[in-house]
Amino acid sequence: MYDLAKKKAAHLLKKRGSLSSLSSHEVKAKETFAKTKDSISTVSYMEEPGHHDDIPRPAVQMENTCQLSPTRRFPVLTVTSYLQEEKYEPELCRQMTKTISEVVKARVKDLMIPRYKIIVIISIGQIRDQNMRMGSRCLWDETCDNFSSHTFKNSSLFSTATVYGVYFE
Amino acid sequence: MEEYHSGDEVAFSPDDASNVVKECIEGIVGGVDYSQNKVNQWTASIVEHTLTQLVKQGKPFKYIVNCAVMQKSGAGLHTANSCYWDTTTDGSCTVRWENRTMYCVVSVFAVAIAL
Repeated sequence: MYDLAKKKAAHLLKKRGSLSSLSSHEVKAKETFAKTKDSISTVSYMEEPGHHDDIPRPAVQMENTCQLSPTRRFPVLTVTSYLQEEKYEPELCRQMTKTISEVVKARVKDLMIPRYKIIVIISIGQIRDQNMRMGSRCLWDETCDNFSSHTFKNSSLFSTATVYGVYFE
Repeated sequence: MEEYHSGDEVAFSPDDASNVVKECIEGIVGGVDYSQNKVNQWTASIVEHTLTQLVKQGKPFKYIVNCAVMQKSGAGLHTANSCYWDTTTDGSCTVRWENRTMYCVVSVFAVAIAL
């Protein structure tokens, strides 16, 4: 992960006093694109230019289905079942984060909630007497958009998983 | 993302966003050591400042900004994300920053809104 990050940094960034770099997350992003292109539903939004003129009316109709209730449906079991017995190991956890994020995204997609875009963030870390704080802020429409998160801990690792659902107007 | 959308004003620009994020991080925790008492305040400030700066760009996006600050203790951390969205208009960018005593990882996700 760090080698890839350094390569990206060399191409894209100027170094300052403290190190900053883009994570290999960007490499993972390409894999995500390939997968979403396979899902046809994203394309359908682009094919409805006529609806843009009618935005006030569909938006009002959609208000009824707008509210997302993710807490009820968050795929908690996925996270727990994958990590229950695991001990922290760098290679394993690197793969595990990617796998879990894909699986959680697939499960949320299976809920078939229309007109919602999904963002899943997974973090797995080793427990070693350190402290850690994670925070997030969102700029969105709070009547339509929502999130749900879950943390899991065993003796050698911890994991946080967050799913954001953003309504597509 | 790394593909350049020619002439497309509405596409998310990860380079711009990453510059905004880096400046925010430097301004808030650049040159200070990890402190248990202050970390809560730091994460809140980093996300709020980043969000404010992104909004000032005036682009038609909904934003999600995620920040993790971790003390350096030799422990490992892995983060991954998976997104189901329109890849032509939406995008994300992650910036990893560190100093002598802590790591800071900030992710920005931008979801386009139809105007």
